[in-house]
Amino acid sequence: MDRPFAASPQDQTDGPLASATHHLRLYFLLLRAQARSQAVYRLSFALDAVGSAFITLAEFAAFALVLPRFGTLSGWTLGEVALLYGLAELAFVLMDLLFGGFDAPNLSQHVRSGSFNTFLLRPAPLRLQIFGSDFALRRVTRIFLAAGILAYGVSASGAVWTPEATLLLTGSVVGMIAFFGGLFVIGGTLTFWTVESVEAMNVLTYGGRTLISYPMDIYGQFLRKTFTYLLPAAFLSYFPVLSVLGRPLPDGLPLVAAYLSPLIGPLMLAAAFAFWRVGVRHYGGTGT
Amino acid sequence: MSISSFFRPHAALYAAVARLGFRRQFAYPQAALWGLITNLFFGLLRIAVLVALFGQQPQVAGYTVQDAITYTGLTQALIMTLSLFGWTDFMRTIHRGEIVGDLLRPHDLLAFWAAQDAGRAAGQFVLRGLPMLALFAVVWGATFPAGVEGWTLTALSLLLAWACGFAFRFLVNCAAFWSPDAVGIGRFAWAVLGLGSGFLMPLAFFPPGVQQVLALTPFPSMMNTTVEVWLGVRTGAQALAGLTVQLGWALALFALAAAVLSRGLRRLEAAGG
Repeated sequence: MDRPFAASPQDQTDGPLASATHHLRLYFLLLRAQARSQAVYRLSFALDAVGSAFITLAEFAAFALVLPRFGTLSGWTLGEVALLYGLAELAFVLMDLLFGGFDAPNLSQHVRSGSFNTFLLRPAPLRLQIFGSDFALRRVTRIFLAAGILAYGVSASGAVWTPEATLLLTGSVVGMIAFFGGLFVIGGTLTFWTVESVEAMNVLTYGGRTLISYPMDIYGQFLRKTFTYLLPAAFLSYFPVLSVLGRPLPDGLPLVAAYLSPLIGPLMLAAAFAFWRVGVRHYGGTGT
Repeated sequence: MSISSFFRPHAALYAAVARLGFRRQFAYPQAALWGLITNLFFGLLRIAVLVALFGQQPQVAGYTVQDAITYTGLTQALIMTLSLFGWTDFMRTIHRGEIVGDLLRPHDLLAFWAAQDAGRAAGQFVLRGLPMLALFAVVWGATFPAGVEGWTLTALSLLLAWACGFAFRFLVNCAAFWSPDAVGIGRFAWAVLGLGSGFLMPLAFFPPGVQQVLALTPFPSMMNTTVEVWLGVRTGAQALAGLTVQLGWALALFALAAAVLSRGLRRLEAAGG
């Protein structure tokens, strides 16, 4: 690598735009270094990448294979479910590539081994370093798979495609990336205090992803309302997809609720980073 | 060397290894509790999908809605017991070179790891499986095998499912002898295991063609057969036939694992590992 950190001091005096460019360059340098090291063993990398996608493929294939025997999933065809499933998977894998460094298992390893201290010492923003610290290149195959499932959903669901629908689903993905990224940040922050109970976050992250991969009316009132009004996961993709399919929203909610994903996600992320700042201060405060 | 002549002098050693593997599972009770909660939540989601699929139909492919719920409880209970999400412990000892130390000890590596995994599986069954089954029985009315015959066949089938699953996992781990990073091969294998063993969906729901292909593989023996015997989807002669197939696969996979292991060890010696 060509001394990526050396340029840092003078860049920071050149105003916000130059500093943003510098940070972006730094981020991509971090990613490139990891991508290179991960691709050293070509065959095993290829297998790893295919295997990663195959886990999701097997899950969706299992559902697709049994659906014909039952007809529909409480009125939803395979194409319509593929719309939900593809959106959730696409957003989650993009989020995983971006926020992987904040995921509790990764971060807690840095905290326990002491390499987190190294992050604090380097002359680069802490969060930028965490963002660039665990880039799992093998997940790239999952992006293509998710896009494929989503494309199938788009063509098979019979929805009318307008620019508005495209905007709605793009907003849905952006909102989900921020929302689940926020959950990763919260889980990662918790590792500053404890290692063991962080596993509970999996219910919200991986559980949440699974939850929104299927139409939420199948979960019954209690679960659906909890994940609409307490933890607003239903706004992320379920409401946008209902709107695209021309179906009414539940509980007589106004149609505008389908457009809130790009608002709710970043709000969650902002709250998560506020918590992160508290966590970092706490970590620095213990003298470890 | 015949199996019995090999095992007898070492029986005490393997029993001790199994006991240790069992006890080790109880070292982190808090982690087990969170694992249980996570499994319960995923179980809840899986039940919702299955119940919604059934809709108004009383029975599909020999399964009632209640059977589908019991199936979910059982598979969620067995995730850790049968290591359905994978297992890389043996692979790690090869990658780190720790296997060299193991080779100095006077025991058979395959039997050693089998004993350890049997203890681990039993520990996970007590710690995570039984509470999960109890919860599913209380909350969702999951059912249990019918009568002494049902329980006996189910218990035997579960043992054979573990044996098939362990031998398969061990084989996948043996890839580490040849590949510097066998994790990728593992990830692929665990995905196949999830689909083929009937963990993702009961195999009886799949189209006949897919079922016929899967029937030629050992994967249904790694869990689906046990589930069907438990539920009573297979009874009497059909259940015995299922168990026989499981036994056949268990023997074949263990033989294959032993052969691949000895090839791998020879390769290790040749490389001076």
